[in-house]
Amino acid sequence: MTRPLARLGGIERRFGAVLALDGADLEIRAGEVHGVLGANGAGKSTLLNVLGGMLAPDAGVVEIEGRAVRLGSPRDAWALGIALVHQHFTLVPRLSALENLALGAGHRRGLAGDLEKLMARTGLRVPLDARVEQLGVGDRQRIEILKALLRDPRVLVLDEPTAVLTPDEVDGLFGLLKELAADGRAVVLVAHKLDEVLGVADRITVLRNGRTVLTGPSAGRSVPELVRAMVGGDAVDPIALGLTGVDAGATGAMSRPPAERGETTTSARALHAGGVVVRLRGAALADRSGPGVHGVDLEIRRGEIVGVAGVEGNGQRALALLASGRAVPDSGSAELPSGIGFIPQDRSTEGLIAEFDLVENVGLALQREPEYVRGPWMRWDAVRDAAERIRERFEVAAPSVTTLAGALSGGNQQRVIVGRELTLARDFLVAENPTRGLDVAAAAFVHAELRRMATEGVGVLLVSTDLDEVLGLSNRVYAIARGRLHDVPEERRTREGVGAFMLGGTADG
Amino acid sequence: MVDGGAGGRFARTRWEPVAISLGAIGLTGLVGAVLLLAGGFDPLAAAAAMVRGSVGSWDVFVSITLVRSVPLILTGLAVALAFRAGVWNIGAEGQLYAGAVAAAGVGLAGGGLPAVLLVPAVLCAALAAGAAWAVLPMLMRVRLGVGEVITTILMNFVGIHMAAYMVHGPLQESRGVFPQTDAIAEAARLPPLLPGTRLHVGFAVAALLALGMTVFLHRSRAGFRIRAVGASPEAAHVSGRIDARRVLVGCFLVSGAVAGLAGGVEVAGVTHALYEDLSPGWGYTAIAVALLAGLEPLGVLVTGLLFGALQAGAGAMQRDAGIPAAWVGVVEALVILAVLGLDRLRRTGGRVLPGIRIGGGGGA
Repeated sequence: MTRPLARLGGIERRFGAVLALDGADLEIRAGEVHGVLGANGAGKSTLLNVLGGMLAPDAGVVEIEGRAVRLGSPRDAWALGIALVHQHFTLVPRLSALENLALGAGHRRGLAGDLEKLMARTGLRVPLDARVEQLGVGDRQRIEILKALLRDPRVLVLDEPTAVLTPDEVDGLFGLLKELAADGRAVVLVAHKLDEVLGVADRITVLRNGRTVLTGPSAGRSVPELVRAMVGGDAVDPIALGLTGVDAGATGAMSRPPAERGETTTSARALHAGGVVVRLRGAALADRSGPGVHGVDLEIRRGEIVGVAGVEGNGQRALALLASGRAVPDSGSAELPSGIGFIPQDRSTEGLIAEFDLVENVGLALQREPEYVRGPWMRWDAVRDAAERIRERFEVAAPSVTTLAGALSGGNQQRVIVGRELTLARDFLVAENPTRGLDVAAAAFVHAELRRMATEGVGVLLVSTDLDEVLGLSNRVYAIARGRLHDVPEERRTREGVGAFMLGGTADG
Repeated sequence: MVDGGAGGRFARTRWEPVAISLGAIGLTGLVGAVLLLAGGFDPLAAAAAMVRGSVGSWDVFVSITLVRSVPLILTGLAVALAFRAGVWNIGAEGQLYAGAVAAAGVGLAGGGLPAVLLVPAVLCAALAAGAAWAVLPMLMRVRLGVGEVITTILMNFVGIHMAAYMVHGPLQESRGVFPQTDAIAEAARLPPLLPGTRLHVGFAVAALLALGMTVFLHRSRAGFRIRAVGASPEAAHVSGRIDARRVLVGCFLVSGAVAGLAGGVEVAGVTHALYEDLSPGWGYTAIAVALLAGLEPLGVLVTGLLFGALQAGAGAMQRDAGIPAAWVGVVEALVILAVLGLDRLRRTGGRVLPGIRIGGGGGA
């Protein structure tokens, strides 16, 4: 048995009234890739932040190579060889990529040269001279990883590094992580995709409600077993949750019986079948923070889910804003229906107002609907009823509808947004990375709702960087690259096939 | 998102702003007492004089405290509305002077008109002039993206000096001695609210406006949109499809108009003429009034009264306890600092020093 390189024992951490960690344990050995799993709110990020010195635990011990240490700041953790790659970016937007990397590594001669070598070795390439504010999420993620690697860490901690990378980059990153482990270092990895984690991790630790419920080698473990550990009990069907990769997900989607309400709505569906609800013609929109989109021709019919896959920062934002009517095309035309719902990617800044309660957050979108307004006045009683219905039907874990949105976990915030936008989406729904950062159960819930909307005759535009999600849900698939849409023919709708289309516009060559 | 990082701030606590305000007042009292002691004054005597001079008798309360609170409430409402929408209008002082000049001009020129026409004309002129004073900073904000904090502050200087020019030049009294206008027409003056006191109907106007603004902000769709834009312009645009620019333009102009009204009401209700130093900085004190009220219009009614009492008591303090009235300015500044500090403390969950730690701030 290898001696643990780092050990966290009985860690407790409280945020106000919420107990995020309730005696969690984590043991990391040299030479291993260690996967940390758990549902949203299980305490994964909190635990990693304790290891990275970002958060001081309220109770428990942190040992590095058998010696108890106190990690009071990230600096303490660096000094001990622990580098944390954040889920949130910690880059200075106005500085260049190189300057940000220098900030992390300390100024030294030959940094650019070292970086070139590191980039060549790891396959993580970023434009060093570009200002970070001009770069997409994928590039920012690569910079964060490079920043951590520059420290030459003994323990590398990555919190959800794969969400914004292309499949090829994910493979490259995992290869790199295995190399680092083989080198005698330890890698700690948080990711939501269980099959991804099982593929790369030597050992795993599962957290539930702030406690460690399972730890050990990953070999021989199955996805269902892990899901049971994550959510407790065995009531969950992982195939239905769409947890496993694209194949299982896709077959799951097709072999599933129609949703309970699908039957009653087929007539409605037939009624609208073939009816085009959205028509974009030669639409273009510039976007200060990205490439924008140009020459977009897109028709979406009632009852179909149109998926748009792409690497972050290739014009998805502009496309979503155009299709949802939040922006008017600079040129070309956009014909949109009246009942549009929009699930924006950024829950906390665009989807909700943290200091507003749920009633107000529901009202934020419903205030445009005639039935929630009387003359110049809001019909707050009607909005409140709508909020109550959303809370019940979408099982939002909030004590009441007067709970502040900012007090909810990410998954519950998303339920509020999804519930609200579905009530608006009488004709058309735009969903932009609707499951990013959600745990498997919450993601499956959102997917089921998207399917239900389609069966009820709503046109759905799903814009996502998650290939499995796009492939598993969509009737038609487009890839977006450098602001242009590419129709992906049916026979190419595989991870590799779509990936090639996605890279068609972004690869260096 | 930090897992489990919900700050534990589950239900909305409506009393939090009130607690902050009371805490700020208590803290200010403490620090003020220490400062007075350090200055060689008797804090108890100062407090006694202050109470006597502000709420010592019905007459003192109505004729001094309430009268002084009117411009503070009106400018406080102007600032509260702007801040609610995310418009940092620091220009209430200049807008107040613009309103005062316009009110004096109309009040002087409209001599022949009956009061039922002239009083509304005077107040409308003040509203229009205050709004006009906000136009330039508003345009620079929405067209050019120039921050309104600086432009509104600069417009204050223009407004103050414009008023000074008026009373030295075009609008100077017919005797040509003092830098002030002639008294405005009798028909332009605000009637008394309570007979036998100096309290004029401007107080009722301010109180009704506070009430109306509260209802507007919380019950109307336009008010809700203003709150949404102020809380998060991004969410207001993306989730609410609200045109933030329209909200900004509207709130900027209405805020300026209400501050202008404060100047008009002061001229028509109290001074009956325009003076060079009409305002002792009401437009700036208004920021403290609005912040202490948690930007709630009804709260502004209360904090405006409080600051009115403070200013009324300052006179008595100077007279009876020999303490410079400038000390009241110190108190006002302390209140702002205490409110900002306590509010920040609430948001950070009680951590006093900003460490590099990531706190569990739920919505942050």
